[in-house]
Amino acid sequence: MAFQLLLNVFLAFTWMFLSNDYSPLAFFKGYFFGLVVIFFLRRFFHRRFYVYNVIAVIRLLMIFLIELIKSNLSVFKVILSPKLKMTPGIFALETELEKDWEITILSNLITLTPGTLVLEVSDDNKTLYIHAMDIDDVEQAKLDIKNTFEKAIKEVSR
Amino acid sequence: MKKNIKTNDVIFQTATKVIVFIIILYSLHLFFSGHYTPGGGFIGGLMTAGALVLLLLAFDIKTVVNTLQLDYIKLTATGLLIAVLTGIGSFFFKVPFLTHTFSYVELPFLGETALATAVLFDLGVYLVVIGVTMTIIQTIGETE
Repeated sequence: MAFQLLLNVFLAFTWMFLSNDYSPLAFFKGYFFGLVVIFFLRRFFHRRFYVYNVIAVIRLLMIFLIELIKSNLSVFKVILSPKLKMTPGIFALETELEKDWEITILSNLITLTPGTLVLEVSDDNKTLYIHAMDIDDVEQAKLDIKNTFEKAIKEVSR
Repeated sequence: MKKNIKTNDVIFQTATKVIVFIIILYSLHLFFSGHYTPGGGFIGGLMTAGALVLLLLAFDIKTVVNTLQLDYIKLTATGLLIAVLTGIGSFFFKVPFLTHTFSYVELPFLGETALATAVLFDLGVYLVVIGVTMTIIQTIGETE
């Protein structure tokens, strides 16, 4: 992804030099034509066409925003309820992500969505220990995290 | 202090690798914006030292010292020397000590830019602040 992006910027600059016009508009024109060229030659790269990765990043952001609003509402409900009917607890989540930045982003997403909080990463970077405000169904919570965040992050780093 | 508890700092270290660059860039922006807008050498130096302290917190003190290879006492001396030399430079123009001037200079690529000699004095302040802060923190951190 990074290589294709850099190549696209390089092509945009080449376009600017060829057309002898150094305005931002010329840069964007060159960027667009470079994008078209890279799309037609996409099978020569080892990774997939990088616009898919950009779309995946945007989708990850959207998922995060929706989850943030939903879980804030649920915490709001718990705070305003007269009786505390929650069962806090800690569970372990086996993650399939490997790279450092993937684990960091996953942990931050879990922590920023209220109700769950990452306490610790195991030494081999394979298990996350998560504190949940209300565990009624551990397996369900694990599946939720796996299906939303982990899938989206995998999609970004593909 | 016992050090038998080894925690996994993967989240902290990865976040630090991203954030340190942003902090240093912001401190440079503060340093250069001191003439017309809030900022300047002192706060810029403190922010840079803050970024280095974040590195010291996230990684070992030995790792940071071996990576940066900066002698902070010499850095302080260099900063003081620069500040004094900008003051002495005013003698060559038959004006009192530490007189500063600025003018608009036509630079290639940048166009008309205001260049002030006070920036050089500020550079001295910047280096002294970094040097003194880091010297204090490292000498406190190294004594067991």
